[in-house]
Amino acid sequence: MTKQKMFLKMIAASLVRRRSRMLVALLAIAVGATILSGLVTIYYDVPRQMGAQFRNYGANMIFVASGNDAVFDLDTVNQGAAVIPESELLGVTPYRYESVMIHEQPIMAAGTDFAGAKVTSPYWYIDGKWPEKSGEALLGEEVADKLGLSIGDVFNVTCKSGEETDETVIDDGLDMTVAGILNTGGSEEQYIYVDLSDLEALAGPTLKLDVAELSISADQDTLKTYISEIETDTPDIAPRLVKRVTQSESTVLTKLQALVFLVTVVVLLLTMICVATTMTAVVTERRREIGLRKALGASDMEIIGEFMGEGLLLGGVGGILGSILGFVFAQFVSVHVFSSSITFQPLLLPVTIIVSILVTGLACLLPVRSATDVDPALVLKGE
Amino acid sequence: MFFRMIRGVFLRQWKKLLMIALTIALGASLATAMLNVMLDVEDKVNQELKTYGANITVVPKSQSVLSDLYEVEDGSSGQGAYLLEEELGNIKTIFWAFNIVDFSPFIDTQVALDDGSTLTVVGTWFNHHMDLPTGETLDTGVKNLRTWWDITSGAWLDEQVDSDPSACMIGTAVAAQTGAGVGDTLHVSTKYGSTDLRVVAVYDAGGDEDGQIYAPMQTVQELSNTDGYLTSIEVSALTTPDNELAIKAAKDPSSLSIAQYETWYCTAYVSSICYQIQEVITDSVASPVRQVADSEGAILDKTKLLMVLITMLSLVGAALGITNLVTASVMERSQEIGLMKAVGATDRAVSALVLTQMILTGIVGAVIGYFAGFGFAQIIGRTVFSSAIDMKPMVIPIVGILVVAVTLAGSIPAIRMLLRLRPAEVLHGR
Repeated sequence: MTKQKMFLKMIAASLVRRRSRMLVALLAIAVGATILSGLVTIYYDVPRQMGAQFRNYGANMIFVASGNDAVFDLDTVNQGAAVIPESELLGVTPYRYESVMIHEQPIMAAGTDFAGAKVTSPYWYIDGKWPEKSGEALLGEEVADKLGLSIGDVFNVTCKSGEETDETVIDDGLDMTVAGILNTGGSEEQYIYVDLSDLEALAGPTLKLDVAELSISADQDTLKTYISEIETDTPDIAPRLVKRVTQSESTVLTKLQALVFLVTVVVLLLTMICVATTMTAVVTERRREIGLRKALGASDMEIIGEFMGEGLLLGGVGGILGSILGFVFAQFVSVHVFSSSITFQPLLLPVTIIVSILVTGLACLLPVRSATDVDPALVLKGE
Repeated sequence: MFFRMIRGVFLRQWKKLLMIALTIALGASLATAMLNVMLDVEDKVNQELKTYGANITVVPKSQSVLSDLYEVEDGSSGQGAYLLEEELGNIKTIFWAFNIVDFSPFIDTQVALDDGSTLTVVGTWFNHHMDLPTGETLDTGVKNLRTWWDITSGAWLDEQVDSDPSACMIGTAVAAQTGAGVGDTLHVSTKYGSTDLRVVAVYDAGGDEDGQIYAPMQTVQELSNTDGYLTSIEVSALTTPDNELAIKAAKDPSSLSIAQYETWYCTAYVSSICYQIQEVITDSVASPVRQVADSEGAILDKTKLLMVLITMLSLVGAALGITNLVTASVMERSQEIGLMKAVGATDRAVSALVLTQMILTGIVGAVIGYFAGFGFAQIIGRTVFSSAIDMKPMVIPIVGILVVAVTLAGSIPAIRMLLRLRPAEVLHGR
């Protein structure tokens, strides 16, 4: 029987004979590794997931026309938005403002794309429902109060612009239904919102937009590089950052990330020490065995080698188990907190295994070394 | 005899017990740190979210939308379209006064420059010092409500140091239009009078405010002949995320039952704080700024849930770590237990002895761990939020129960297993 075979046999025998004790140690390592891989995965994913939450604040970039004679229509906006990678661009919403008459009263109407507005203004609180088809409108709360209109009412809208009358403008106006009442606590409550095509039918297809809101899931610096790219690519657009949103987002997000980072570090540190003490306890109780081996003529190096072999094996198995469980945990957290799945970090697998092997190895090494220093006779005698 | 034996163990085996206590202390400190951080994270993140500015605006009930939409000259809408300046202090007397972090009054008016162009001048508090009826003092104003403003030149107007009523701050668009910079003066006039404004700072707000001038409130009130009146108040309050009850109440507080009404009134929902502000400011409408209030709610909820789950994982980790070690250390004492049984100790006596030792060790560990954990929580609080984490008394019983339960859970199966062994075999060394 070769030496290596004997080595493997001894490790295997030790693991099998002392099943329950080894299971305890394995459990400790696996829990440590689970916490390591779970928390690190969450830490890496938090900026992305939390960033998505921060998009609740609405648009963080707006496009306006760069000059009076710049061409600023849907195509220009889409061309500008094309600079931003599709995965980061959540929504683009065009707005065109026109003054219209309802019940002989002047009201500001905004033509928009409701599918986009849902994304770029997620904080809009709608009583009723979002307009779904042309002919339906969203009324700001103040406008609704002033005109005495409620959900389901039909009202007539005319466009008061007299100077540039062309044939496409409907003279006797358009009948529209109130689909919902908008409540935001801001100036939006003073407008009525209609579909872009309805406003074109009313006020004429000038194709010119006033502003476009963009909601982009990226940090402030990335947004700034997009702005300079768009400025050079599409000179008709003047992109601007909505500072209130971007600046505050980066402040709060940095804090949150630091929080998760520190929590991760503290938890990992304490868990590692816990794993190490457990391993130390498991090894220390085998002093008699070490003494017996020494009495039988084993060298210190052989004993240390064998114990380390056991420790490394446990560390490896625990690390693999922990990586899997950790990913399951991170996935659970992500699904329950952010309702989206987490990205797997392949690099974390070897890192977790290596760290658990290192911690286990180190935790075994110290007590084994002190045990081998002892005189076998003393240990066997039971002192 | 029982006590002597316990004392004996502590004196003779103190090294081993110290190690167990240390591991328990580690687990307990982990639990303490995470629980403290978890329980305080909502308050802390709420504070951070205040950088988004006000989440409640207060406007007069009969405010006309005319000036906003058609830029009809201000000052013509007459009485009743204003809030009263003398009632401002009332905001800090409502039930949730403690949750009001900052507030600032606004009065705005259109002014003409010498070249004939018109601009909006906003009168407000910058860092106004208030002595409240309760005896507290408060420094509040736009400096805290406009954290995203970049001061491109000059420095924030400091009302308390520089009480000059003609000081003002101008937006970048105004600076570009008029060519004025820090130190220059702008001559502005209305039909009620005119004054020179001295520019102390140029700000970049990244929005409409870039085209406005911000000046002390008194100055603008004189310019617009509205002494003692305000056009709006912005309030930044710490709020609890809305739930079903809050949504129902926001629509119509009178639709609630008495019990529901009391719960709602005594919870810091944004709608109940709005309601309470309306009670103390005459003829006002306080409404939540949905953009800020809703997003705050979403972010707070998510952060809290995230911390709860991380805390659960750490608690499970700490519990398993302690159980493991306790089991290992009880098993190790098979010889001792065998010997005790051999000299005639009953199972009960043996179990009581071992359990008492373990629990005593556990308590020592828990006490050390609690303080260490509290230290860890402070490190996290100081580093991340630059403020201390509050000591929550409820953490003490939770950690205590956790440690005792986990120690028992670790010891009992091990003791039962050892008691089943026959003394002769154990002593023989199998």
